[in-house]
Amino acid sequence: MADAMKRNTSSRLTKWLVAGPPLVFLTLFFLLPALIMVVASVRYPGEFGALAPLFPTRPGEEAGLTLENYGVFFSDWIYADIFAKSFGVAALTTLLCLAMSYPLALLIARSPRRHRDLLVLLVILPFASNFLVRVYAWMIILGPLDLLFSRFAVIVGMVYVHLPFMILPLYTNLEKHDPVLLDAAQDLGANGWNRFWRVTFPLSLPGILSGSALVFIPVLGMFAIPEILGGKDDWLVGNMIKESFLGTRDWPFGSMLSIMLTAGVLAIAGIAAWAARRVTVHA
Amino acid sequence: MNRSQPARLLRSLLAAALWWIASPAQAQVVLHLYNWNNYIPVETVHRFEAHCRCKLQQDYYSDNEEMLAKLAAGAKGYDVIVPTGNAVQTLVRQQALRPLDKQRLPHIANVRREYMDLPFDPGNRYSVPYAYSITLIGYNEEKMRDLGLPTDTWALIFEPRWLEKLRGKITVLDSQRELMAAALKYLGYPVNESGEAKLRQARDLILRAKPYWSAFNASSYIKELTVGNIWVAHGYSNDMFQAQQDARSAGRRFTIGYSIPMEGAVLAVDSMVLHRTGRRPDLAHQFIDFMLDGRNSADLTNLIGSGNPNADATQYIRPEIFGNKAIFPDVATLARLEMLQDYDRRTRRLVNRMWTEIKVR
Repeated sequence: MADAMKRNTSSRLTKWLVAGPPLVFLTLFFLLPALIMVVASVRYPGEFGALAPLFPTRPGEEAGLTLENYGVFFSDWIYADIFAKSFGVAALTTLLCLAMSYPLALLIARSPRRHRDLLVLLVILPFASNFLVRVYAWMIILGPLDLLFSRFAVIVGMVYVHLPFMILPLYTNLEKHDPVLLDAAQDLGANGWNRFWRVTFPLSLPGILSGSALVFIPVLGMFAIPEILGGKDDWLVGNMIKESFLGTRDWPFGSMLSIMLTAGVLAIAGIAAWAARRVTVHA
Repeated sequence: MNRSQPARLLRSLLAAALWWIASPAQAQVVLHLYNWNNYIPVETVHRFEAHCRCKLQQDYYSDNEEMLAKLAAGAKGYDVIVPTGNAVQTLVRQQALRPLDKQRLPHIANVRREYMDLPFDPGNRYSVPYAYSITLIGYNEEKMRDLGLPTDTWALIFEPRWLEKLRGKITVLDSQRELMAAALKYLGYPVNESGEAKLRQARDLILRAKPYWSAFNASSYIKELTVGNIWVAHGYSNDMFQAQQDARSAGRRFTIGYSIPMEGAVLAVDSMVLHRTGRRPDLAHQFIDFMLDGRNSADLTNLIGSGNPNADATQYIRPEIFGNKAIFPDVATLARLEMLQDYDRRTRRLVNRMWTEIKVR
């Protein structure tokens, strides 16, 4: 019995050793900053940037907590407009990435095993050069075509940069499919389209969902690509947040925007998770 | 601009790693300078290092706000910083600066009188001018001549009459203060105007001109002008100097010109200040005095075409730069230049709201 207990303690210890570091990391670098952001979003901006003090240091000074920042957000169509535009750009980027990645991921997954690693390596290869260098390269390509500084350029840059994040999860999923299933479908008289649509595609949904999340969420917060490739109308939420912190030094307002963005992303992730559960139940 | 943040991060990491490796071995004296990118020639750095028998360690920023944000976040140990006027004012009000000891700055007499005792630091208690730039209009000279466009007025970037011929070939600065200042100047108001009605007029002027513009751009206009994709850019005199040089050395069939609009423009004076957390105020004074020496000061102007407030530097500055009216304006033009001052937080919010509107509409 003592032996069992010891084994129990040691397994619990192992569990903590495995789960502990990531937990600590997430608490320190995600949860805590997020909480700081929530607090910052209900305070007044400081005179030189940063935050106004919690308690007034001189009479008439704005201090303490306020919902004013959220009030500004909801009393003006303009912010919702930028959010809608950003979600639109993110959705379009995700769709284009998906449309381009699926055939490629399928091709890699179905190619001979000895070629696969090389093909995957080729997908990852662009990461060897800096992200900004690659975006600048697009400036050189699009400039002479008169396509630079446009919504088109922004989408091109977004799709280009995020493509591998869609290909890899799709490939990992597709690679695991048992070819026997397709043979069985064929034996039962399914043609090529039916084999894809009724066997491969449903099985790949988890890959599609994780790939979409990996593309959609970073695109929402991206400010560098619109700034470098975008024209005069291509301001997205990320740019607005950056401008609040750096351009105006209005931390509370920037924090409020970040919180609203996080809320939006969480809402979408929630819907996606719910959809995924329904899909798996049906399958 | 955040364009190079990952690169900068990598560089800082690398620098930190190198420092880590090298630090036990070196007991060297180090002066920490927090400076704009490319704002001191390498030769000048070497000369100063030989002069002080110390090492000049540089960190870089590309935006005053970036520098203020980093200091606000608690960065410590910078001896000398080179902020623009309004940022000097912010730092002074934050009590982040150490007063200068003029006894240790004999060369301060070299600074021209018109650049001393500026509104952001009366009596130069904390700051000495280092160099300046002017926000103006750069253009493709041949195109302007062919299209018959005026180059000495903000009308070029705000009046539909002229913009008709420039549709999609013009960029303006991606900076709310600079663009609003240009609009305010064109309307005949001071650049620091804070009245809501007048600011709204400036916003409307910008919105009227926006459909003709190609982009809000903070830095790549240099390249776009040089390549010929863009014919007119609202930007800084140093950048226009670089675009001009680049176009020349690339053997383009056109030349880049730039001039100060007659309505007046923004003058940005960058000054050397001592940060309170600096550990070597003695070396910092030595550095400031070294840079006030005419020859050292002139080297920067010869390299990047920056404006030079140093009277003793004149003799060392290349004549074609010193003769350039857009870098060394005459007295009448100088009188029409204004420096930006910080808005209070209410006005900041107001202008930010207008800026969002400008960006979205």
